[in-house]
Amino acid sequence: MPGAWTIAQRLVEDFHQTAFVHALGGSLRRMAIGYVLVTAIGIVGGMALGRFKLLDEVLGGVAVSIHAIPGAAWVPLAILWFGATERAVIFTILLGATGIVIVHTDSGIKEVAPNILRAAKTMGAKGINLFWHVIVPAAIPRIVDGLRLAWAFGWRALMAGELLTSVAGLGQMLNTVAKARQLDQLLALMLLFAFIGASVDGLIFKRLEQSVRTRWGLA
Amino acid sequence: MTQALTEQERRKIAEATKPASSTEAEPHVVVESLYKSFAHNGGRVEVLQEINLSIRQGEFVCLLGPSGCGKSTLINIIAGLDAPDRGRVLIHGQPVTRPGVDRVVVFQDASLFPWLTVLGNVEFGPKMQGIASGERRAKALELIKLVHLSKFANAYPYQLSGGMKQRVAIARALAMDPEILLMDEPFGALDAQTRGMLQRELLEIWQATGKTVVFVTHNVREATGLGERVFEISARPGRIKHAYAVDLPQPRSNSDPRLLSLQQKILGSLGEEIAKVMQDETGLPYEPQEGRVAAAPDRALGMHI
Repeated sequence: MPGAWTIAQRLVEDFHQTAFVHALGGSLRRMAIGYVLVTAIGIVGGMALGRFKLLDEVLGGVAVSIHAIPGAAWVPLAILWFGATERAVIFTILLGATGIVIVHTDSGIKEVAPNILRAAKTMGAKGINLFWHVIVPAAIPRIVDGLRLAWAFGWRALMAGELLTSVAGLGQMLNTVAKARQLDQLLALMLLFAFIGASVDGLIFKRLEQSVRTRWGLA
Repeated sequence: MTQALTEQERRKIAEATKPASSTEAEPHVVVESLYKSFAHNGGRVEVLQEINLSIRQGEFVCLLGPSGCGKSTLINIIAGLDAPDRGRVLIHGQPVTRPGVDRVVVFQDASLFPWLTVLGNVEFGPKMQGIASGERRAKALELIKLVHLSKFANAYPYQLSGGMKQRVAIARALAMDPEILLMDEPFGALDAQTRGMLQRELLEIWQATGKTVVFVTHNVREATGLGERVFEISARPGRIKHAYAVDLPQPRSNSDPRLLSLQQKILGSLGEEIAKVMQDETGLPYEPQEGRVAAAPDRALGMHI
């Protein structure tokens, strides 16, 4: 078992290698594309389910079911459909993380405090105005919760996708060093996964969630 | 009673910023043999039973009763947020079927929109009415000034105290320029000083604008201090047990013996209702006696310490 110092040294060395930087860049790019899609599809889908009862009855269960499948379980299907390509990885992120955003957005929209709705209605808000100016903003704390979880789920799905496809990325690199039995390198990479995942969560999502909760009077 | 109040009302209408849209003879709000029940534990609980009210334009009435007597339900039905089982509510002779901008509710929890500033909250109603942004902003700022919150126009609700939130809620309601203000225990969650201050401010606003106010409270002193008439509502089912005319000019002094004797009279009657609610909630007979703590005969005080 290599010591912490060896692993740290290895990590520093990694950053001087083109292949590593290339792999890191590829992973982050896929995550960014995947996450933007997750956000867009998740929020729009969740709003649609929250707003249209019929749609909710038909598709509400589907969203929950998809959300129940771990991201990694989508990889074989993704490879069947898209081949072992970047698209397959993004598809995996999408399926692994969109469900949680849909479920949170949907419930946020359905659980608006009754008095907020009553107040808005007595002031003449109805239909689409009520939805955009009251229900959606009222649901924002829940949506942000969903987005934060989606980051964690998406990040895991990214790794699963990259491990099982041969797209240049951190996941594939993990595979390579494991086969070469480079334990220090393997642990250095895992440390990096943890660091990126936790940093984005702590620096972006946790702060965002905190400020939203404060303003919405939930903290 | 009618003579003096009509006199007072005439003066108020004259003071109002705009002329009253209906004749004095025609009541503003009429509630006609209203019934409402809710599903509860597999059965139905009758919350309101045979409620009849007639409220004049510009009148300040209080609905007084113990918690759970259906006061809030009645406010919601007048607002058009809830439908009665039987009976109806008429505004200027027109039956209420849905919420209308002529009737705005101020809730106990203020129910401000947390994502909007004070200004944004006050502007909300006019914005929904499609009023141009310049005009609605000017009006909102004026109302914010009226409730003494000019310094906080750009603050968010989480930065405000409970009393300030209620002021915003009142300004937000006034921005709709409603004919009727429906107030559902608006000051119930506030400390006594803040409550007293807001009561005085509300009276000033009422006298300046001539709005019809329906004010729900469980506080006898509040009801008699504010209302021209006080309707006492009984508990389960909620019925109008008594109507009291508070024939005293504003501002009223808390130590006015006429006010005190009226409060005593109402408290006596209300006590019976509270006993009913207590018995309902605890399943035990409750006899209010001074200097005694209500206790069950089978109590085992300190058993679980």
